[in-house]
Amino acid sequence: MRIKIVSIPVSDQQKALDFYTDILGFVKKVDMPLSEGNRWLTLVSKYDQDGPELLLEPAPVHYAPSKVYQDELKKSGIPWTQFYVDNVQEEYDRLSKLGVEFSMKPTEMGTVVVAVFDDTNGNYIQLVEEK
Amino acid sequence: MSYYIQEINRIKGICFSNEFQLDVAINTKRYIDANFDQEIKLDLLAHIHYTSKFHLIRLFKKYHGITPRQYLIGKRISEAKKNLKSGKSVSDTCYAVGFCSLNSFSNLFKAKTGMSPSNFRKAIFDKSKS
Repeated sequence: MRIKIVSIPVSDQQKALDFYTDILGFVKKVDMPLSEGNRWLTLVSKYDQDGPELLLEPAPVHYAPSKVYQDELKKSGIPWTQFYVDNVQEEYDRLSKLGVEFSMKPTEMGTVVVAVFDDTNGNYIQLVEEK
Repeated sequence: MSYYIQEINRIKGICFSNEFQLDVAINTKRYIDANFDQEIKLDLLAHIHYTSKFHLIRLFKKYHGITPRQYLIGKRISEAKKNLKSGKSVSDTCYAVGFCSLNSFSNLFKAKTGMSPSNFRKAIFDKSKS
């Protein structure tokens, strides 16, 4: 068994694709049309293009409980998932300049530094730097 | 303040309030990162931090979730993959990432990746041709 894909719920696949590629810097890997305008849309890190894929899943649009869960996590400020970076402060500065909103500034947390931003698609995402 | 930030602060106070211990754990990891290609001398590192090797290992596990040896193996395998992807031979890679025996390198690499180093190298090469 292998971990090949992890999914993230998004409110609008095209808007999410733009944000995750243009702003965050991920690379589109698979873009396959499905029924009713939906797409099987996955991204990879440009530094690990054979690594795990992130599936932008339009679940909150089609399945109400998914939206309820996503909304409740967001209200509590809880990140949906986390991405690793070399330097959280530098990424915080870069993304802030691009207009990304952070709910938590770079914060020391034991052996890591973390920060949390809004992905504009209904989720908070945590950045992690290992010290 | 969000529930998440409150929880982060609460957990931080419980788990990460001992700065000395944290420094030992973080410095040990940095030492391994910088010296993974050589023999790792935890005794020396423990001495620098005025502690014992066994306490150092316990602190590492407490703050990183794995032992220094497990971390070192992961680091060496990860570096080995980079070396093999760049075209280096299996034996050059073996010694470049700190292994002394080709046999133990190959066995460990296969155990951690599911492929022998030579098959891993071949798969990368085949993929680049297609």
